[in-house]
Amino acid sequence: MNTVLETIDLKMVYHVGRVDVAALRGATLQVQSGEYVAIMGPSGCGKSTFLHIVGGMLKPTSGSVIIEGEDLTAMTDAERTDLRRRKIGFVFQRFNLFPTLTAEGNLKLAERIYSGRNNQDAARRHGVLKLLGLEDKMHHKPLELSGGEQQRVAIARAVINRPAIILADEPTGNLDTENSDIVLNMMQQLNKEFGQTIIMITHNAEAAARADRVIEMRDGHVVRSGAPAEAFGGRP
Amino acid sequence: MDSLIAANISQRPLRTAISIVGVALGVILVTLFAGLARGMMRDAARRQSSVDAEVRFLPGGNVSLAGNPLMLPAKYADAILHGVQPTTEDPDLEPKPPISGVSDTSPVGEYVQGSVAGIGFEMVDGLDYASFIKTTRLSLVQGRGLGDGRTPDTAYEAIVDRYYAASGKDLEGRPVRIGSKITVLGHEFTVAGIYEPSVLARVKIPLYTMQQLLGGAENCTFVMVKCEQPELADKVIEDLRRYYPGNHVIATNEIPALYSQGLAPVEIFLNVVIGLGLVISVLVILLAMYTTIIERTREIGILKSLGASKRFIIMTIEKEAALISAMGVVLGFAGALIGKLWLEANTRLMVDLEPRWLVLAALIGVLGGVVGAVYPAIRAANLDPVEAISYD
Repeated sequence: MNTVLETIDLKMVYHVGRVDVAALRGATLQVQSGEYVAIMGPSGCGKSTFLHIVGGMLKPTSGSVIIEGEDLTAMTDAERTDLRRRKIGFVFQRFNLFPTLTAEGNLKLAERIYSGRNNQDAARRHGVLKLLGLEDKMHHKPLELSGGEQQRVAIARAVINRPAIILADEPTGNLDTENSDIVLNMMQQLNKEFGQTIIMITHNAEAAARADRVIEMRDGHVVRSGAPAEAFGGRP
Repeated sequence: MDSLIAANISQRPLRTAISIVGVALGVILVTLFAGLARGMMRDAARRQSSVDAEVRFLPGGNVSLAGNPLMLPAKYADAILHGVQPTTEDPDLEPKPPISGVSDTSPVGEYVQGSVAGIGFEMVDGLDYASFIKTTRLSLVQGRGLGDGRTPDTAYEAIVDRYYAASGKDLEGRPVRIGSKITVLGHEFTVAGIYEPSVLARVKIPLYTMQQLLGGAENCTFVMVKCEQPELADKVIEDLRRYYPGNHVIATNEIPALYSQGLAPVEIFLNVVIGLGLVISVLVILLAMYTTIIERTREIGILKSLGASKRFIIMTIEKEAALISAMGVVLGFAGALIGKLWLEANTRLMVDLEPRWLVLAALIGVLGGVVGAVYPAIRAANLDPVEAISYD
């Protein structure tokens, strides 16, 4: 397997007034292509900051982030945006769909940003929506969908452009158990059937247990990395 | 609705409508004011074309073709035609010969009064009817001409042109006919005749009456001089300048050009109106788009998370502003057309909606909108993606 993501001694310090707050203190990590990685840790341990840096939304104070051979930290803001467009798909806890657009409209917008064209691959779009069980919801706006359906649309939007990595920030945090289960199944299906690399932040041990590997963060460091069975002592 | 721009516009219909109306106001301001200024000037110039007299004799000083008070002694009309000789009352009078080649002269008083309809203004001619019809193509189509105004039965009579009769209302609000009462110079006049074609002012009263109402002096605004042959006009002008220095003598066919010169201050006014229209468009769109991007901060964060470039975000906001502005331009044109129809139906103002002013108004509307959206668009493009996507 190829290394799709590598972070080396990643540090991030926020300046809050006159106080410096260290969110990451040297996080080093490798993720292989097709891997499904869950990141766990207490609140404030730096998980979200790590995800935002890896997604090119934040520039770290020091260290390197290399995605498929491209060093994100050596890039300008515009270059990071371009890399995000080409290689990253985000899934957020709050779904973050455009409320004025239909499910299909949200996907079309992502496609247009990716390709710069209005004429898209409708067959692929319909295929993705079908895969995620949304073929009859294409023309519904987010407010006409359940939370689980909205998150599935968000996942569809994240995968529509075949990104190298999907970064999911607590994707089941706003869902009930039933919908969480559906969403996690779909993410697992994307990983197993299509080899989609996924990095998921979660507080939910059951969600983490579905990953290939669980990374534990604490105080801005990666403190443990291993199979779910190791992370939970053989008990999810 | 899959288009982000169309969806954004329809998401806040009231704000969109207010923005469209704001841009439309700027467009109406430009098209209607420009149309009004052009229409009135063009109409006045056109009405000069029915004058047969080749030469116009005016008092010295600044030449103004609108609203000149009675400054020129009316006896110049007689002097030009018959010459001047010393009299027993004025033995020192310098003798002057009749101007060779002149066949007729007519003194005309011209006064600008507020429109009876309450909007704009209208001109009134005071004329010596007998000589006036020899120097113009005026022809009665109904009723009779004017008397000299020196008797009570002729003093408060007026004649009007066909346009006035067709579009005007008498004091009782009825269409203007022979015998209708109308207000001229603050007094009640009876319509004695209707004439065509339009020549000079649309309403004409006896010069003597105008002189009495404006102070009693036996003055006029200008004297129309008709030559025996049109080709004699240059020589007549030359002689008039020689014998009556200090006065203005101009060829009637130069008057449209003088009207154009008279448009110079109007051009300044129009430029101010254009500037106002532009400022209105810019401010309306700036405020609308600024509040829009604050409301949509989170959505801009989503766009950034999807990898939208600054250019993409700026173009999205600019396209939205341009679309709103374009709708404002269309509404503005409709408003200007309605305004034109209303003004022409209810007043005697003329509005020319010239293509070049329509194009200019459209450019002002759309460019104003696009310029107004620049700052909000740049601000949106520069938002921090993490802060934007966390915005509540």
